[in-house]
Amino acid sequence: MAQALTVLTGRYIDWGVISISVTNAVIILLMIIVFVLALLVPFPHDRDDERPPS
Amino acid sequence: MSTQQDAGASTEHGNWTAALRTHIANIVPEGQALPDRQPAYVASWIYVFGVLTIASFVVVLASGIVLTVGGYLWWHQASFGRFVNSMHLWSVELFFATMVIHLWGKFWMAAWRGNRALTWITGMIAFLTSIGAAFTGYLSETDFTSQWIAAEGKDGINAIGVGAFFNVLNPSQILLWHVVLLPLGVGVIAVCHVILVRRHGVAPPIDAVAPVAARHGQEA
Repeated sequence: MAQALTVLTGRYIDWGVISISVTNAVIILLMIIVFVLALLVPFPHDRDDERPPS
Repeated sequence: MSTQQDAGASTEHGNWTAALRTHIANIVPEGQALPDRQPAYVASWIYVFGVLTIASFVVVLASGIVLTVGGYLWWHQASFGRFVNSMHLWSVELFFATMVIHLWGKFWMAAWRGNRALTWITGMIAFLTSIGAAFTGYLSETDFTSQWIAAEGKDGINAIGVGAFFNVLNPSQILLWHVVLLPLGVGVIAVCHVILVRRHGVAPPIDAVAPVAARHGQEA
């Protein structure tokens, strides 16, 4: 287990001048997915929203 | 009775108290400080990330206050200290993630439209101040990680010419920046940001028109 954790913490993606840890890349990817979901997923409506404003 | 007349007269003639009261009352349009209804375009998940950032910030502050009570080694030694330390870390992770998603949403919405430039600027200052707060947090871990970050960071800080005033190799100075000055800065700027949002209303999508109640100051 400890050996597996050591391997995971040391894993990096190297692409030209860009060097980023796998953990940070995964976090950024998750943020992009959440951002896209926030744009696409419908927001729940209250029943109050359907009545005309008084 | 005469006292009431005197009070009324002083208000009519004006004094600094009345002027300040009028100024405070005019900061936000009537009913917009805590509105219970919003324009239809606000019914989108992209509009919740600002308030999620504030909610995360409250947890950051609360867990940080508990850590200050325990002292600067407590979070290494006690199991509850490690729990609160983890809560502080993960609330900061959520704070930055939600703040950056909020930033993405507002950037693509061009949310500085409609006389909202100052709202955008205060948001950016809050973001930059938060990075400083996070940096001093990493420097205050009181372990080998913080030593390594301080040794590496000193060259960067010296390169921008502020090393004489902001010494990352001085743990006591950095800890005080982290627990007092920078959280206070983030909090004050965040309050100004929220007041400006309430003053001008949330930015509408590019093809939508904001209702009159949410357009304070846009005529200028």
